[in-house]
Amino acid sequence: MRKFFPVEDLARDERFNQITMNDRMADQRTAITTDSRPSRAANRIVPSRGDASDAARGLMHGIFVGEIQALEGAGRTCWDFTTGEEAPFELKLDMARQCWDEARHVEISIKLSDWMGSEIGEYAENTVLFQAACSSDPVLRLAGVNRALEGLAIDVFTTMKEFGEVAGDQYLEFAEDWMLADEVTHVKMGSDWLRKITENDPERRKKALDFQSVVDKLFSYGGTRSESQESPIGLARRFRELAGFDDQEIDVIADLSLAALEERKAAVLEAQAAHN
Amino acid sequence: MADAKKPRAPFAPWDRRELPGLFSVEESARRVGAYKWCELKLFEALGGWIATVPELDVKMRLGAHCYKHAWHAELWHKRLPELREMNPDRLSVAPNEDMVNFIEALTEPEAPELTIEKLVGVYRVFIPHFISAYTFHLNNTSDITDAPTMRSLRFILQDEFEDWRDGEMLIQSLIETPAEVDRAAAHQARLEKILLAAGGITGSGTIGFNTLKHEGALA
Repeated sequence: MRKFFPVEDLARDERFNQITMNDRMADQRTAITTDSRPSRAANRIVPSRGDASDAARGLMHGIFVGEIQALEGAGRTCWDFTTGEEAPFELKLDMARQCWDEARHVEISIKLSDWMGSEIGEYAENTVLFQAACSSDPVLRLAGVNRALEGLAIDVFTTMKEFGEVAGDQYLEFAEDWMLADEVTHVKMGSDWLRKITENDPERRKKALDFQSVVDKLFSYGGTRSESQESPIGLARRFRELAGFDDQEIDVIADLSLAALEERKAAVLEAQAAHN
Repeated sequence: MADAKKPRAPFAPWDRRELPGLFSVEESARRVGAYKWCELKLFEALGGWIATVPELDVKMRLGAHCYKHAWHAELWHKRLPELREMNPDRLSVAPNEDMVNFIEALTEPEAPELTIEKLVGVYRVFIPHFISAYTFHLNNTSDITDAPTMRSLRFILQDEFEDWRDGEMLIQSLIETPAEVDRAAAHQARLEKILLAAGGITGSGTIGFNTLKHEGALA
């Protein structure tokens, strides 16, 4: 088995349809709408939204495939680096623990998708999460995956938990809350290891934090996650604090996400103008 | 209630534990170091394979089992200093070159159509050998002096039995043709031959045969 596994080779059964972030952003349907309804001032996934069920199902499928890739990424970190020389033994133990947690999250996501009325493969699988787990430096993987992506998972699970709570769906609320607990643990693992390994290597720490920033921006999905009500997913400040983010770090992500939302809105207007 | 001052036997009539054991402190530490190395190699492989198997149920099982073996490695890592090995890395090694060859052969399959080979290597070869080695240790070490190792062995053996059953059921569900039966058997035989040369997880004498009495052991 090779060290370092390319994203194109991720093994899936025939139900899955994989796309890249470029594919997703290049899809004109995400920018140009023929829908005659006025655009919403608030896009947050709440039961009162007309398309709330579809949006929640789509997000749930996104969580499902994200959990698969998180499982695969943590597994690859167990394998890709030589124990002791390239990655500490204890870091690998944490990654193995994350494998088990992510495997359970895949199971939970399948049960929840079924509960919400969707099927495996009903939506495309964006493979960008695994791409962030392909760095040749384990510290960059921890920054990109555990801090940026698992941080996003905290935001997503909080939004879904609140959706379940408001909708009176205790099944959804219960499961999301349990997954949220695991994600806080994973983000904390990333924060702790990042600080420990780069304690005497400020250059490596900066590189890792820069990489995290790139992934954070990428995963703001053009404003899908921000503190604005225009974003479907909110920023879960309290749980991020529990996971080891300080106020300044959370502010940076909040600003980054808002900027991504504004960029996306401008791009949509431009695309619509060109279309008309 | 009996008189509190009345002397009682230090070992109750139902307590049949005995002092003698087959392993000296050094031999127990050597074995524990080999266990750690093997569990480490196994959890690394399971983790690496997750991305390579297309079957969703197998993918999830590998993720769960990856952690169990990491936990076993951690238990052995923590036991080593208690056995006077203050540098656990020194004993966290393969017992011999054949064992290194076995791990190389075990982790060779990568292609998505080789799930049977991946699972056979783990669940029909490696884990049964873990069960044998751990059972031999449990049954032959001193009930009293090596009780901490025995406690870990019991926890770990429970995992191994459960994982073996999970894996065997997955293999049986994946094998659909006589040709696949042959494939599984051929891969098993290939790996078993390498492990035979290695003498088992801790090398020659893993389950007693060809075992020399170790200095300092009581038997």
